[in-house]
This record gives sequence, C-alpha cells and structure tokens, in this order.
Amino acid sequence: SINKSAEIPLQPHPLENSWTFWFDNPSAKSKQATWGSSMRSIYTFATVEEFWSVFNHIHQPSQLAAGADFHCFKYKIEPKWEDPVCANGGKWTVTFPKGKSDTCWLYTLLAMIGEQFDHGDEICGAVVNVRARQDKISIWTKNASNEAAQVSIGKQWKKFIDCNDSIGFIFHEDAKKLDRAAKNKYTV
Amino acid sequence: NYEKDGNENTDKKYSKDFLLQFADKCTNLPEDFEIASDIAETLMNTNVNVSHPIDSY
Repeated sequence: SINKSAEIPLQPHPLENSWTFWFDNPSAKSKQATWGSSMRSIYTFATVEEFWSVFNHIHQPSQLAAGADFHCFKYKIEPKWEDPVCANGGKWTVTFPKGKSDTCWLYTLLAMIGEQFDHGDEICGAVVNVRARQDKISIWTKNASNEAAQVSIGKQWKKFIDCNDSIGFIFHEDAKKLDRAAKNKYTV
Repeated sequence: NYEKDGNENTDKKYSKDFLLQFADKCTNLPEDFEIASDIAETLMNTNVNVSHPIDSY
C-alpha cells in the first residue's frame, strides 16, 4: 500500500458543484491590452475541506491591492460576459466601504457552495472587485430575464450577508452597451 | 452507508454554521495546489509557513 500521509483523513464533504477560484492580477493588468487576458484560474475545489484549505491561504479582499478581481465561479463557467452560460445573464451587486467586504465575501461564498439559494442553478458565481475607494461584490446569474429567480436570489443574498440596503440587478447586455450608464432592471 | 439522510432531493446543502466548523481544521494547502510565483506574491498570505512571528525590532 502507498504510505501517502501519516494521518488518515476523515471522509471529505462533497459539494453539489465544483467551483473554481479565478484571480485577475492588477499588476499584470496595466501591461495587458485586452481585458481578461491577465485573469487566471487558481484552483478548482469539490469538497468543503478543499475550499477551506485554499481559502485559508489566500488574501481577504481587504488585503488585496486596488484593481484586483477575485472570482469564485462554477467549474467550467468562465467569469466573462462572453462565456455562453453568462451571456444572457446579469448580476446583483453590493457596494462596501473600502476594506469592509471580507465577512460578506466569505458569507457569499459559503451560501453559494453550501447551496443555500432556492435558485442556485441560476447562479454562475461571485466576484469581489477591490478598488481604490470601495469594494464591490457581485453574484452573476444565467438568465437575466427570469425575474422571479433573480429577485429570489437577490432577496436571499441580502439575508445571508445581513444587508439592509437596497441592491440592484443589471443585465450584462445593458452593461456591455451602456457601461456605467446601465440601469438596474430589478431592485430588492 | 454514507448516503446523507436518505433524502430523495440529493442537493448537498450545508449551512453557514456547518461550513464554518471546518475552517480551522483545513490548514494545509491541497497537495495538488500550484500557483505561479508572481500571483502567489499578490494573492497568498506570505506568512503561511512561518511558524515564528517576525522579529519586530
């Protein structure tokens, strides 16, 4: 038999979905012409234990440099508008004062990987955008026009992260065309 | 005998409190974890394998 490890691991807890961490490195970004070209997948995990083994070793949003984007998306869904699964989707976004998103980021991830959303199948993943003056967390979904599912996800998310502010849902389609002028299609 | 609850709905659902119990039990990086050094610098906690606090003097 193979003596791989001295300790006998406990039965790991499998997740419903596998998830991939992606990181967009701000220092690389300035040298790259094309958006997204500096984005790299970090690790794909399929159990509760693997999630923590990686999460425990990576920076919290408050420790990341301004410009960094850190994603956690379902395996095989790329965190890009162009991904066929994301193309007709949209996103809910919560904005935080600089450095105040750590807890909500963790609770967002736990709610996703623990399948706490009634419409979890609609979810592509989540991203935290660390910027100079604020942090933003977004949950990306698949079918933006499915209002009932989006509203359910938005309401449940606010509950999971204990958010009392009103939050908005933007269609990727609108964001592509209008950039920052894109308006919320749904609000909860 | 390791089917969960015998539930027909096979979704593996875990509450936040359940998941949090594992946080401090999983302290080693996965064996197959690999990362480019340039990303490691900006993404990883640098004191991961440092067992003694850095001298502050």
